[in-house]
Amino acid sequence: MGVLHRKLYRTMLKSWGQSLAVVAVVLCGIASYICVYSAYLNLMLTRDTYYSDYRLADFEILVERAPETALFKVEEIDGVRQARGRIVQDVNVDVEGVDEPRIGRMISMPSTHEPVLNDIVLLAGRYFDGSAQDEVIMSERFAEENHLTVGDRIQVSVDNKKYSLRIVGLGLSPEYVYMIRNVQSLFPSPERFGIIWVPQDFAETALDMRAACNSILGSVDNPDQLDAILDQADKLLDTYGVFARTKKSEQISNRFLSDEIRGLGVSARIIPTLFLGIAALILLILLNRMVRTERTQIGLMKAYGYSNLTVALHYIEYALLLSVLGCIGGFFLGQWMSFQMIQLYVDMYQFPSLQARIYPYVLTRSMGSALVFGVLGAVAAAIQAANIHPAESMRPESPKIAHKVWLEHWPFAWRQLSFTWKMILRNISRNKFRAGLNVFGVSISTALLIMGFFSQDAMDFGLKFQFEEVQREDVKLSFPTEHDIETLYDVARFDHIRRAEPLLEYPFEVRSAWRTKDIVVIGMPREAELQKIMNFKKEMVDVGATGLVMSDHLADELQVGVGSTVTLKPLMGRVTKEKEVTVRRVSQQFLGTSAFMNIDALSRVLDEPFAMNAALLRIDEGSGAAINRQFKDVAGISAVSFSKDAYNGLVESLGKSMAIMNTILLIFAGVISFSIIYNVTTVALSERQRELASLRVLGLSTTEVGRILYHENTSLGVVGIVCGIPLGMGICRILVEAYSNDLYRLPYHIERRTFVISILLTLFFVLLANFAVRRKIQRLDLVEVLKERE
Amino acid sequence: MSTGAIQEPIFELDEVQKVYHMGEVSVPALRGASLAVMPGEFLVILGPSGSGKSTLLNIVGGLDAPTGGRVRFKNQDMTAFTEAQRTQYRRNNIGFVFQFYNLMPNLTALENVELSTEISKRPMDPLEALRLVHLEERKDHFPSQLSGGEQQRVAIARAVAKQPEILLCDEPTGALDISTGKVVLQALGAINERVGTTLIIITHNVSIGEMANRVVRMMDGHVRDIHVNESPKSADELDW
Repeated sequence: MGVLHRKLYRTMLKSWGQSLAVVAVVLCGIASYICVYSAYLNLMLTRDTYYSDYRLADFEILVERAPETALFKVEEIDGVRQARGRIVQDVNVDVEGVDEPRIGRMISMPSTHEPVLNDIVLLAGRYFDGSAQDEVIMSERFAEENHLTVGDRIQVSVDNKKYSLRIVGLGLSPEYVYMIRNVQSLFPSPERFGIIWVPQDFAETALDMRAACNSILGSVDNPDQLDAILDQADKLLDTYGVFARTKKSEQISNRFLSDEIRGLGVSARIIPTLFLGIAALILLILLNRMVRTERTQIGLMKAYGYSNLTVALHYIEYALLLSVLGCIGGFFLGQWMSFQMIQLYVDMYQFPSLQARIYPYVLTRSMGSALVFGVLGAVAAAIQAANIHPAESMRPESPKIAHKVWLEHWPFAWRQLSFTWKMILRNISRNKFRAGLNVFGVSISTALLIMGFFSQDAMDFGLKFQFEEVQREDVKLSFPTEHDIETLYDVARFDHIRRAEPLLEYPFEVRSAWRTKDIVVIGMPREAELQKIMNFKKEMVDVGATGLVMSDHLADELQVGVGSTVTLKPLMGRVTKEKEVTVRRVSQQFLGTSAFMNIDALSRVLDEPFAMNAALLRIDEGSGAAINRQFKDVAGISAVSFSKDAYNGLVESLGKSMAIMNTILLIFAGVISFSIIYNVTTVALSERQRELASLRVLGLSTTEVGRILYHENTSLGVVGIVCGIPLGMGICRILVEAYSNDLYRLPYHIERRTFVISILLTLFFVLLANFAVRRKIQRLDLVEVLKERE
Repeated sequence: MSTGAIQEPIFELDEVQKVYHMGEVSVPALRGASLAVMPGEFLVILGPSGSGKSTLLNIVGGLDAPTGGRVRFKNQDMTAFTEAQRTQYRRNNIGFVFQFYNLMPNLTALENVELSTEISKRPMDPLEALRLVHLEERKDHFPSQLSGGEQQRVAIARAVAKQPEILLCDEPTGALDISTGKVVLQALGAINERVGTTLIIITHNVSIGEMANRVVRMMDGHVRDIHVNESPKSADELDW
């Protein structure tokens, strides 16, 4: 075996370009797997330890006002381990020198630190000292973005009274890893919204809720019993006005975080499998060629008495060696990328510390899959080698049945062809397998490039779609409670307002049979211009007079279609009556998962003649600051949000992290594309060395010989590209399905530019590979090649 | 054809040297070989392995360039040929036949011949070339469907079809048995006689020399002696 190993080693060095290509593809596959899968595990580990260390509650019930005694009733429910009452209220926070209102979610905490549910992590400063009433702990990022720190003071308006509070500490909570105010806001804007934790006494006094609470947290022994427990709690608390009950799995921050983790899990499966599959394919091509060219040598080895198994293993070993090399590179690159990726999550999520562990079993698993794919790629060649009969191998391969090229049946047309083209057509038609592999390789390359560009396209398109076509307002005013139409007229009377439209956003549980989903239903006037419902083809969808327009994502989840009836159960306010509505239309939605309804119809669902809790405004250009000043001190406005800020925030947070991921994916796609093309091209060359040398001896120049190969490769390349386009589109469709979640749905949108660039890049790769081939032709030792036996 | 004294040689080799550099080792293949070849001549070069006969043929055929000495082809100094010039030279003047026929496996016999007529300035009808080697009936067969002798004759037809001035054969019968070898030699002899192509064959096989006008013996990179054959035999008269 010693000699065989040496042969292996030398073969590898001799065809170093092709071997390197295999190693590169394996490396990309393993690196992406380790990167994404480690990030997946690390994020999951971080989440789970954080939740358990700081006791994230299993459920939360929001009530209007419940006395402390109600808490004991909840605690007595069978299966409830612990319960805690607290006061939660969104308040305006004044930061000196800032016009825009900041929203702080005021959450009451015990005056002295106890291991309560939904505890806080102190990152700086200290906990309340137990006696002072004017102390506040602020969520870290909120303070940071507003240039506040321990010792600073903030003004807080609670129930139209202003309080001056001193920041004593900065903290985080497992409840707000993904810091958004409500489902509608979708993306964090850390300078505008954050948490302020206050001592229980202060909250009780400020809100006049002595010995009462409006939020009940609980933990349970067995999460399977959660539904039953919540039903019981619902009944017990009914008299206190239950607004909403939220399970841990539905808790906003957790839901978004878990969606992200799930997405990583999907990525960890799809992309590395694709890459490793391609590595196997390249190995298949490479080794098949090798077995064919080494046919005589194999025969000779067998004639000397090497067993079939030894010979077969020889080729498998080659594949394994390349896989292992790819793996080693992939380990390091993947691990490094994984740490970089974790850093990206620091921007999106607020964790006290992010775990960045190395998982040996991920390494072994990736090594395992690389080897499995390597063997898969080698097995056909190995069998082929094992089947070679020593005596037969000394003779040329048995004849292939060949036919005339179809064009030859039309002598007139055939005669028009140049010599080069006749050669090419014959080559292709008589080596359909080789030509087929070439076409297939190129089409995969094109497809991969399209896929690489697609995610960025889809993201850009989605953001533009959302902020230019769907949300057309400049400013959105939110009110904490429902108002009648008069409010709209009042708002419209302010300066700089060119148009004002009412909006009603209300959380509901939608139900169809046993399937339920908590969503926000958005009520809008039929003639709305500042908000549109639109599908990804940018076709307007009429909200109609009655009935629900829902996103296809939601329709899928509820398994409903146009004409189905669903039940809406309000999740807020005093109204708890369920109403049935029909699904009017199914449309598409980029951000969030919501449904739309005519504002009048939605008001009727809530038993009101007309209700609105937000207004969309179009304002005079450049009047943003003035608008802020105008509304800052108006009671009853909970938020003034500028669409441009939201857009910029999104591009900043989501856009940045996506861009990095997309770039990596694109680089990988490029490396792999080139590897495939390089391999199919050069493999074809080495199979044909003798042919080419003969042509050279006959008097064809290197350029002429090169031209035959070059035209052949290019025309096969063009066919490959043409096939690659639908293939790429197919892969993108799969990605669209795989990555959709409640937060956003990738629109299936590929820019024309992407096609053009992918095609040009593929062509460039084909040319580059041809260039390498040209060099090989130039170096071809005519005398040596022709002296060898066939 | 006799070697008229006034005729200009088609080739003149003057003290030709060739040294192969393989890494750190230099292997001299030709150590100053001199030879003149007359137009229309049938020349056989004999010599053991390593005597430099293949190297000589490759230099004459424009596959290789000498490292010393001079090679003239019809008053042109080939020593100074560039790669492109050598390619042109091969294309227009030389036909090659190798021991292993080097046919394109995916082209039929006729198509293999067309390969050379397509790029030639004054080609023969490819079918005519096949007829010369008595293979016109097998024109649509692929190499793998032909016997070794037949394949070699296709290779000869291919070399001849572009009407080269010189036909260079490196062990053309080396892979063949006696009777097929004779058929191949017959074909070569006929071409030399009927078309007037200068024919150079290198071989181990001493008896092939009996067909030639002159026999050149090579040894250690030199031309050892040249023997003029007054009455060349035909191929079927040869004893193997």
